[in-house]
Amino acid sequence: MIRWFIILTLLLVFGALRLPIEGALTEQHHGAYLQQARLGLDLREQIGQLGFLAALSGFRSLVADVIFIQAHVAWERTEWGRLLLLCREATTLQPRSILFWDMAAWHMAWNASVAALHDPALPNDAMRRKAQREYLILGKDFLERGIKNNPDRPQLYESLARLYKDKLNDHAAAANYYARAAALAGAPEYDKRFAAYELSFAPGHEEEAYEALHHLYLQGARERLPTLLKRLKTLEEKLDIPLNRRIPEPVR
Amino acid sequence: MPETRHRPFSPARIAAITSNTFTELVRLKVFYFLLIFALLLIANSVFMARLSFQQEFQVLKDVSLGAMSIFTSLLAIVATAQLLPRDLEDRTIYTILAKPVPRYEYLIGKLAGVLLLLGLSILAMSAVFLAVLFVREEMLVKETLRQSAGLRPEQVQEALRGLKGSAFNANLFPGIVIIYLKASLLAALTLFISTFATSNIFTIVVMVFIYFIGHLQATAREYWLQEHGAGWLAKTFLAVVALAFPDLQLFNLVDDIVAGTAIPTGLFLQTVVLGCVYTSIYLFFAWVAFHGREL
Amino acid sequence: MSEPAVAVHSLTKVFPIPFRRTKLVAVRGLNLEVAPGQVYGLLGPNGSGKSTTLKIILGLVTATTGTAKIFGRDSREVRSREAVGFLPENPYFYKYLTGEETLRFFGKLCGLHGRRLQARCDELLALVSLEEARDRRLGGYSKGMLQRIGLAQALIQEPRLVVLDEPTAGVDPAGSREIRDLILDLKRRGITVLLSSHLLAQVQEICDRVGILAHGVLVREGQVEELLAIENQTELILENATPEILVQITDLLAKSNTRLVEQRQPQTTLEGLFLEATKPGRAE
Repeated sequence: MIRWFIILTLLLVFGALRLPIEGALTEQHHGAYLQQARLGLDLREQIGQLGFLAALSGFRSLVADVIFIQAHVAWERTEWGRLLLLCREATTLQPRSILFWDMAAWHMAWNASVAALHDPALPNDAMRRKAQREYLILGKDFLERGIKNNPDRPQLYESLARLYKDKLNDHAAAANYYARAAALAGAPEYDKRFAAYELSFAPGHEEEAYEALHHLYLQGARERLPTLLKRLKTLEEKLDIPLNRRIPEPVR
Repeated sequence: MPETRHRPFSPARIAAITSNTFTELVRLKVFYFLLIFALLLIANSVFMARLSFQQEFQVLKDVSLGAMSIFTSLLAIVATAQLLPRDLEDRTIYTILAKPVPRYEYLIGKLAGVLLLLGLSILAMSAVFLAVLFVREEMLVKETLRQSAGLRPEQVQEALRGLKGSAFNANLFPGIVIIYLKASLLAALTLFISTFATSNIFTIVVMVFIYFIGHLQATAREYWLQEHGAGWLAKTFLAVVALAFPDLQLFNLVDDIVAGTAIPTGLFLQTVVLGCVYTSIYLFFAWVAFHGREL
Repeated sequence: MSEPAVAVHSLTKVFPIPFRRTKLVAVRGLNLEVAPGQVYGLLGPNGSGKSTTLKIILGLVTATTGTAKIFGRDSREVRSREAVGFLPENPYFYKYLTGEETLRFFGKLCGLHGRRLQARCDELLALVSLEEARDRRLGGYSKGMLQRIGLAQALIQEPRLVVLDEPTAGVDPAGSREIRDLILDLKRRGITVLLSSHLLAQVQEICDRVGILAHGVLVREGQVEELLAIENQTELILENATPEILVQITDLLAKSNTRLVEQRQPQTTLEGLFLEATKPGRAE
């Protein structure tokens, strides 16, 4: 009997000793963006008991994969409501997967929104445009939340910039996001160029855009791509830059 | 009799028990079944999602690392659970302990045999996994190069970078090490439980139970330390869970590794140390329980 | 006089029974000594505490009170087992190991290695006549062969004391005789043997001293001849006695206080007959 008492005491003492260490490690996990999925009860309702149990035992990612495949099937069947739900579940389970956020936004802003625009079920054009707009917002929302969970990676910033550029026609916002992407490690070179391009399309930001483009121009032949030169020339005209400061005409 | 000085700690004795245990375990049918299943799963996962290469690699990594994780955890529990009961039933333990072998060496040897088995299994599975990953990556690289014949070099580079980034990731190695640590922790804990368990099944059931609760321990711990509104009964219950059960979430980094999140080196080293500490302490508990046990 | 090989003093072992108030007293106040070079038989019915006593001597079970020592070292120390070899009742060993591998395993546990280990393995396999079966797995051994390999592993480190728990239980008469011959061989070499058995006739032949346990208490102890001698009787075995000589002897006895208890033809034992009849090479 005494032996049991000793063992139990040792177990609890060991538990007490490791409590602060484990707490500290968990903190470090949060700091390094690990283990961010919050598995709440609403998720349990959505993915069912087996899924929840699997998620809990360390197969979160696998469950997310399965759900994502189901989302793909929903897309093929144009079940937009179900698609949205599944995308939400997958991103909740695996918030550090860029793929899920990106695809979710693409489904909403590029696929569902276009489908809504041509939806025969909606009575008139105004309703259709409204539905389209809602889907665009949903797409934007996915990317914003994705960025919140992955502030250290450029891909989602780029996707959001593209969304502002192509779908929402907000070049200033697009420029902003391209610039934020460019500031991160692992960002491709063209991000800063695209930031400058977008800025050049944004009304009211011509001066700023010119400075940015000119700065890039000065960095050498690698940056002097046709688009950059064209935009620079356009701005030079708009801003009426004195001739002696203008860049030479592009060689045809 | 020639006078050999009795050494209180002899690696040679432990090595004999370790290799014996390993030979015994390698004969377990359960081992082969699980191993083949895991290998098939890994090899097959290549065909599971052909939607996009990112998804394909994600699924491959998820399935492979998931298979490795569940296989080693399961094997750790099942293999270790039957070590002591079998020796006791067959009475081979009497012949062993009637030799000048201290009980702690016996336990260390047994655990080391299991850890050796787990280590080799993980190596085999990692080899298959990495081979599949590499082959698939090469195939896709060739295809990408073919498809991007007319593009500029930097665009091709971008495409390839994206492809390679989602395939191989240096974080996979620390991830595999952490899977091994989790399995070794479970093996040591199973050894401890088996020293006083009445049967094989009992040990396995208890360990499965501990496995699930271990994944919830972190949540229980947070609630216990932070919730101020909970009643004393709830608090006591949470305290027991927090203190008595291991925190297995700390060893559950597979999901994040697959998603590409980097594990900081400091965190990795601390996790390794924690895993070793857990394993040693549970081994120690096993000795405390076993050394006074009547045979 | 050197240390006794085994010295047990006031040994008591009580097993608590879970969930019941009563306890099981397996051994009660046992005092026992085995001198070096002796063959000592611990006898008793099942449940008399024989196995428990042996286990306490080997440190596998701890005594409740009292001490047990092997060559002066307390049984609770791991060191005390350096000089002991043990053959448990119905041993199984590891079925997937061959005879030689089994011996090597146990040899390594005793600290043997390299050439010396190999030499010991060869020696012992020859001693127990298992050389042909050395590469066969133990799963394919007969009961007698298992007992012999068990004896071999008990002797692997050249112990000074060998403890045998029911060494001939379940073994056929031929195998049984071989084991008994081996024990006598050990005695010739000066190795102390402590064995427990309830096959009394077999024990009678080989033991020097016996102790009889009943309900955990040593009820009789001493030299075999002394214990078994029926005090006031003498046995004469005559060869070629004619009927006339027999009549003369009976007359002589009638005149004195000596009473003729029994006159009969001595018998060989059933065992002797069996062995003689089943000897290999006998054409039948």
